[in-house]
Amino acid sequence: MERIVVTGTGIITSLGMGKAVTLENLQSERRAIGTLQHLHTKHTDIPAGEVPYSDDEMRELLGIAADKKITRTSLLGRVALKEALAEAHLQTASDKRVAFINGNTVGGMEKSERFYHHFLNDNERNDYIALHDCGACTDLIAEEYGGKFELITTISTACSSAANAIILGANLIREGKADIAVVGGTECLSLFHLNGFNSLMILDNEPCRPFDAERHGLNLGEGAAYIVIEGESTAARRGIAPLCQLSGYGNACDAFHQTATSPNGEGAYRAMRQALASSGLTPDDIDYINAHGTGTGNNDLCEGIAMMRIFGDQMPPVSSTKSYTGHTTSAAGGVESVISILALQHQFIPANIGFKTPIAEHNFRPVGHVVKDAALQHVLTNSFGFGGNDSSCIFSTLDTAKQASDVKQSGSKSRISTGDAYIRAISQISVQQPLNDEWFEHPIMPAQPYNESIEPDYKPYFSPIAARRMGKLLKRAVATAVSTLQKACVPTDGTAQLDAVITGTGLGCIDSTEKFLTAMLDNDEECLPPTHFMQSTHNTIGSQVALHLKCHGYNCTYSHRGTSFDSSLFDALAQIRLGLIHNALVGGQDEMTPAYFDMLGKIGYWKKDDVSPDTLRKADSPGSFSGSCSLNMFVTDAPDSESLCRIDGMDLLNKPTPDELREHVKQLIANAGLTPDDVPYLMLGLSGDKENDAVYRAFSTDILPQKNILWYKHIFGESFCSSAFGVYAAALCLHRNTVPAHLFYGKNYSKALPKHILVYNHFHNIDHSLLLLSQC
Amino acid sequence: MKELIEELKNEIIEVLNLEGMTPADIDENAPLFGEGLGLDSIDALELIVLLEKNYGIKLNNANEGKEIFKSVTVMAEYIAAHRTK
Repeated sequence: MERIVVTGTGIITSLGMGKAVTLENLQSERRAIGTLQHLHTKHTDIPAGEVPYSDDEMRELLGIAADKKITRTSLLGRVALKEALAEAHLQTASDKRVAFINGNTVGGMEKSERFYHHFLNDNERNDYIALHDCGACTDLIAEEYGGKFELITTISTACSSAANAIILGANLIREGKADIAVVGGTECLSLFHLNGFNSLMILDNEPCRPFDAERHGLNLGEGAAYIVIEGESTAARRGIAPLCQLSGYGNACDAFHQTATSPNGEGAYRAMRQALASSGLTPDDIDYINAHGTGTGNNDLCEGIAMMRIFGDQMPPVSSTKSYTGHTTSAAGGVESVISILALQHQFIPANIGFKTPIAEHNFRPVGHVVKDAALQHVLTNSFGFGGNDSSCIFSTLDTAKQASDVKQSGSKSRISTGDAYIRAISQISVQQPLNDEWFEHPIMPAQPYNESIEPDYKPYFSPIAARRMGKLLKRAVATAVSTLQKACVPTDGTAQLDAVITGTGLGCIDSTEKFLTAMLDNDEECLPPTHFMQSTHNTIGSQVALHLKCHGYNCTYSHRGTSFDSSLFDALAQIRLGLIHNALVGGQDEMTPAYFDMLGKIGYWKKDDVSPDTLRKADSPGSFSGSCSLNMFVTDAPDSESLCRIDGMDLLNKPTPDELREHVKQLIANAGLTPDDVPYLMLGLSGDKENDAVYRAFSTDILPQKNILWYKHIFGESFCSSAFGVYAAALCLHRNTVPAHLFYGKNYSKALPKHILVYNHFHNIDHSLLLLSQC
Repeated sequence: MKELIEELKNEIIEVLNLEGMTPADIDENAPLFGEGLGLDSIDALELIVLLEKNYGIKLNNANEGKEIFKSVTVMAEYIAAHRTK
């Protein structure tokens, strides 16, 4: 298998802007944790690693107009992206397909928390409503690229977001969906997560001391970092000398607790093991571990124990560079990858500043001071997130004797994968009858702009005590997960080989987010409930599902607005094609609250009056109606008699031209051995919104003409994950070999048998997804 | 003390969102964590917020909660001795 090399890096943290100053400060052991200057909080006694630039200074450096609406997270991202692209010689349009995968959690919260009362009460800050979510943040960063990214998505697994972006990027290159991937993450400090971590009582009032027996918690930091990765031959053809190689990576789930790490660090252990296995390396090959090392009692103890399980008494040098930068949360995987790459390039080991006394249970001492002239060939870097989303990456010099072997996922069966994928079961909770397919024959036709989901009886799914920290969306997600696996005849007690839990959510548990935000604003940052903060992270949904199912497999969460679910499915299919996994539970999870509904209403998301399929068909005004989405599907590489349909192929595209879209549709159909005439049905995300529907109509007239058009949003409504219902509707039509009349968008009902259906979804004509489904 | 215990039970049920439970379901002398109710570290943090919000008692370290939250009775005794509101 071809090596994946790193050809560019970019970084900004409290240590400064760019690699040169970062390197200088790392080598001179300059810790950059101090009093907050730019974030205004009443907790002035909490130290943090704040980037020493104001928003205005960054705007000026980047040449961004003063009136452009942008968030600090995006500004940080643009600074780092610019540096990485420049080093990789990618400033202008490339003939290569370049993917951009961004890790982020806080999104535009730093503005939302300031303007929340405006959002609710007046129309003065409406421009920032659309910039709140993680996907919007990613799009603002992508504008820094002079060319056009082939595909863009956002990963939100809290503190391992950027590491998981690296993993997806590498998989997409290996699968051939991209030639180059720009991967990493960004996060700015916000009152929201500063107070959130404070409510968990894990912030140290002194500079943090990772791996020290006397440690008292973490310091938050902020920053952004990206790396550019590509196949070695792509770099050679472009005439770029690589910096190093990405030789291995692993992702596993601790599946132990919503926030705490298991005592033996199971998830961390599995992630590191997998990274080693995929690189073809053994523990004694690792020359330096850049640990997650947050400085909390729980993380450092358990991470150390997990490392001891792998490295025994031959522990390589270990340090946590969070002692320099603070914990940059979603950016951390990128920041620490760039630091690991600097260590390889300059052959030094950064210090673990502030360490004095080892932890009693540990058999190692972290590196107290910088080691110069270290002989480093292989560096392992860890990134662990809330909910046990644990990932590890290994970077290696280019001249290493060992070559990366085929990527293998530890624990996977030896069965050879053909790369085919099938949907075996789907279950949903929405405005339709829950956990069944009754809507297929007897749909409920919502008439209001705002609609609540119909809740099932949750008693069969979890006990009241387990439900105490589960908001509505978490309950729905777990119930649909269990129900899906039951339909697929897969045990739900942890005994089955479930390889992956992949979740899409545009907004996460916004009900919890609103509760925490309101409490923070109303109580002046005092007496805040940690439960609501914990549930506000997007990955809490996928983690909760894994926790309930005891699934230690791959776990990832996508938060990229209208293609959040599509991104999850795309990831699952890439890994099935690569033989990394045999099956995955793929979900789309979004809820709506009255307050958020009102905010989105201000920027044209909803109809003002009652709706019906006929009024929606007119599509003569902005918006649709709102329906929450909770859906899980079980995707597997092996068909059986129960399979609903086969997945023939999928594309995820950012801002394609009509010609590019046409070409992708042609290829997708041709790759399945079909011609356009073989595909009699289009499943489109038509919703009644004037502008969005115009794009769908153009698709059905210009891109793939003369098709029978089906729709589903008139039944399920609009939400960031509603595209999941399009896949669901198409899968049922294929399985039952019939298309019910209510799914036809036009008045003429076709008698054509649904052998193949093309599902097409786009979000505001920015991100587009194409999915070809066929009867088994 | 009896009144305070009853009040605390209601508050615990509310802040920890123990759906379907009544004060009678909580044995005031049984451990809140581990066995007993089976609460965990996040519940302890919620109880710390409860102490501060309702009784004006501020704990600076989550570990201090371990002794105080042994049972509802122990908690009530601690509150009676330290409350500022």
